[in-house]
Parts: sequence; structure tokens; C-alpha cells
Amino acid sequence: MHDESGRIEETRCLGENYYLLKVFAPQIAREAKPGNFVMLRVSPTWEPLLRRPFGILQSQPPHIWLYFQVKGRGTTLLKDRQAGDRLDILGPLGNAFPELPDQKILLIAGGRGIVPLFHYAKNYAARQPLLLLYGGRGAADLKLLAELDAMPLLEKYIFSEDGSCGEKGPLTEGLEKIVREQRPQATMACGPEAMLAALAGMLRAKKLDNYASLEAVMGCGFGVCHSCAVAAADGRYRKVCADGPVFPLEEIQWPI
Amino acid sequence: MADLSVDLGFCRLKNPLIPASGTFGYGEEFVPFMDLDIIGALVLKGIYRNARPGNPPPRLFETPAGLLNSIGLAGPGADELQGVIRRLSATTRTPIIVNVCGQDDAEFAEVAGIFAAMPEVAMLELNISCPNIKRGGACPAQDEKHTYRLVKRVKENIAKPLIVKLSPNAADIVAVARAAQEAGADALSLVNTFLGLAVDLEKRRPVFANTLAGLSGPAIKPLALRLVWEVCRQVRIPVIGMGGITSGKDVLEYILVGASAVQIGTVNFCEPAAAVRILAELEKEMEKLRLNNLNEIKGKLAV
Repeated sequence: MHDESGRIEETRCLGENYYLLKVFAPQIAREAKPGNFVMLRVSPTWEPLLRRPFGILQSQPPHIWLYFQVKGRGTTLLKDRQAGDRLDILGPLGNAFPELPDQKILLIAGGRGIVPLFHYAKNYAARQPLLLLYGGRGAADLKLLAELDAMPLLEKYIFSEDGSCGEKGPLTEGLEKIVREQRPQATMACGPEAMLAALAGMLRAKKLDNYASLEAVMGCGFGVCHSCAVAAADGRYRKVCADGPVFPLEEIQWPI
Repeated sequence: MADLSVDLGFCRLKNPLIPASGTFGYGEEFVPFMDLDIIGALVLKGIYRNARPGNPPPRLFETPAGLLNSIGLAGPGADELQGVIRRLSATTRTPIIVNVCGQDDAEFAEVAGIFAAMPEVAMLELNISCPNIKRGGACPAQDEKHTYRLVKRVKENIAKPLIVKLSPNAADIVAVARAAQEAGADALSLVNTFLGLAVDLEKRRPVFANTLAGLSGPAIKPLALRLVWEVCRQVRIPVIGMGGITSGKDVLEYILVGASAVQIGTVNFCEPAAAVRILAELEKEMEKLRLNNLNEIKGKLAV
């Protein structure tokens, strides 16, 4: 874990409020594993006060790449930061998706949830069979397809709710068939809470190892402030930042 | 080089900088970011007799230059913390302060007794001011009679120095400060968070399950500075000031209005090595003001 003074190397708009950021952060880049995240100070002033959590899209020392959608104050400020700007960056934080060498794994990404799974595919697609199920509301939410095409994925399944890209419908509609035909041994998911809750229900009866990466409002990102509590199935709270962000899917108490 | 040490009467600290309870975990979380030996002392996250799950999320809401929290003192119980303290004291010589909590006076006294008996603990801070436990933010520090009764009971039970942490939400914080002093408090620390409200316009409901929450961060600094100033003028015991400190200048401002030392809180979330930077700034600032030691400026606000 490093409190690194990084530097923005490139800010690229991918359209529809999605941005790609290349950041020089050698210490973090060296240690980052798929699933880890960073906390960015988006402004050098105290407004906004808190850092913001971002997943790591890929890491090629001395750089890491971030991918985000402009949603609020923090991301608005971040997108306007220019190449050459200093960026305070804390990381790598949290746990990582487990390395399961030799296993056939289904990656399930909803919208911006592609970030840690892109990182996973980037690092491991060449050494083991990886499947990707990627969905969003429309083509606008499904960036990075060209980059994903360049990876040696075993198979890719694309869904969009409006039918503008891939098959029409939520990605959960593709799940049963993929699991039946491809027989993966594990799934790794990241996306909106409703998607993860639906996956938890659908995957419950199947004998797979299922993991999900969660998103939460965070104060510190390193286990101190207790803001990012999430209710677990055992009735207790977990800290998304320090106990996660990756949890066995069954460990979380999903809303019904 | 300026002398940064401060005298709390019952003990001397190498500098006035103390990370505040609830913002510094149990110390060990900050080892990757700093040498814990550089800070004056450190206060652990508040502790009850038994482990607490904390409040249901959301627990945090950002405001302009500030932060509303409703954590609800989530954490382990007293038995587990004793092990944590033994581990921590093996890694640092910095005095360890335990922030003592209780659902009622008996629990405050019991928890204080447990940690006062530990040789690894330098002093206790009695947290009679957390606004996130009872609905509506009620706490003992809102009432001078309750404060007197509680501090007296705890103090009679222990031999360790006792700091009493005050609430800015008391109708008359000076009266509460005096009550704590009369009851035997060795020092005061103030302020805990200001009660605040955040609402969700679409749901027409409060953001927090507990309705009210505690505001901290740079936004509260002038409010907190005023309360520290008023209390310092009215009590004889040392005061540890806090509220929105983010810089070496801020530290000196609190000392100027009469504080003997300071605590830094919310800034630890934003910048885990904040204490290191603030200490360096404090030295530079003292040099600029030609101060040899902090006593030259302590309580010297000309009004």
C-alpha cells in the first residue's frame, strides 16, 4: 500500500461520459492485482474532502489505467485534470480476485463493472480459459470492446438492454445457457447491486465458486473509517475496502 | 530547531499532534504510511465492553469541506482490544490513549477500569460525546450534572490520567467543561462532531437511519476554534483542541487560543500521512513566527 504522488499521462474521452486515464504510479503499478482499487484525491483542495475509489483497469508498470463514467462531483473534476497534472493516489487497496490457474472461469461484467474483470482477463487470459459475459443498457455503456477483442478470451457474450449491441436483454438472460454449455468452474462478477443480487439467486443452486466485487461509498479506503459497511449473510457487517472488495457471492446479504 | 514538546501537567508529549479517536483505527493501520513514533500520542477508536456492529449503512455523507458520519462506534470489544494494544505498544513508544465508551455510567466505569489497569496505556479519554449512539444525538456531555456524576465515578475507579471529550452540542459547553474539571478530569478534549442532518429529497427521508449524524472536517474549524477558546479561558486544566485541523497553521491557531495540544481527525481519512506533513508545516510555521517553543504562543490571543 502506497500513498503515491502520481502523474496523469493521458486523459481520453471514449464518448458518452466515459473516460480512460493513464496514470504514472510506479509503486502501485508494480503491486496491483486484478480486483485491487485505488483512492484518488480528485482535487488538491479540501473540496471535495474525501478521496474517491476507482478500480484498476490494467497495470503495466510504471503505469496504471483507470476507466470511469462521469457521475458526480468527483468524476467531473477528475475528467478535467490534464496530462502532466499531479495526482495523489493511494493503493493498491483491498483484496484481489483469487487466482485459479487452470480453471475455466466465467467473468460477468455489468457496465462499469468491467474494470476489475478487464484487469483479470488482461493478466490471465493467455494462460487459462476465460469466458466473458458483458452487458449494459446500450452500446454507449459497452466501451472497450476492441480491447477485449484483442485478448485471447475463450468466448465473449455481449448483451444490451436496448439491443443496440450484442443480444437484446439483460446479461442475466444469457447466464443459464452459458453455464450449461461451457461448464465453468468459477464465476467472477462486478456490476450494479441489482445485477449481483440476481446472479446470487441464479447461481445459488449451481456448484460453482462465485465471487463478486462490490462498490461502496468509502471514507478512507484502508479499513479505518468503517463507512463502507455491507451486510453479510451471517448478519454481521463487512468492510468493502478492507475485507473486500471481492467477496464470495454467497457471503453477502443481497436485497430481495 | 523549535522545541515542539508540550506539557499536559500529568505528562509531557514530544509534540502537540495527536490523531483523534475513530480516525486512526488502532494505530497499526497507519504503519505503512508513517513512523508512529513521530506523533505526540495517539487515540484508539472508541471502545465498549462488548463488540458492536455499528449503524446500518449509509454511514457517511460528504458535505462542503466536511463529512457527516453515523458510524455508531463499530468495533471489537474490550477483551479483543487489550491484545491489539499489547501488539501496538511493542511497535511504538508513542503514548497510547484509549477512548472509553459506555451505554451507561456503569459500563463507562467498567471499561475505564479495564484499560486503566494496562501498563501499555498512558491515559484514557472518556468519550461522553458521541452523537451516533442514541437517537437524536443525546450524550452525557450535553448535561453538566450528568458529566460531573460520570467523570467522578470513573475517576474514583482509576489511577490513570483522564481526558474528558466534550460535545459541541451542549447548550453550555463551558458549564460542562467546569463540571468535568470539578469532578477530577485531568484534561479536556474538544470538540467531538457537531450534530447535523442530511435529507434525501426524493425519498423525503433523512439520509441516515439514526436521523442525525456528526459533522467534522475543515467546515467546522471556526466553530470548534471558538468553543476551544471559550473553554480555555474558563478552566485550569489542559485543553486538547480539535476540529477541522489540516495544516501546521491550524495547529498554531488552536494553541494560540489556549489549547495545550491538538487532535487531528478527518484529515487522516483523506491523507493517511497527514500527521507527517502537518508536523513538518508546524516546524516551518514556528520558524517563520520566530517561536522557540509553543508556550510562547499558547493562550496569547489578544482580544
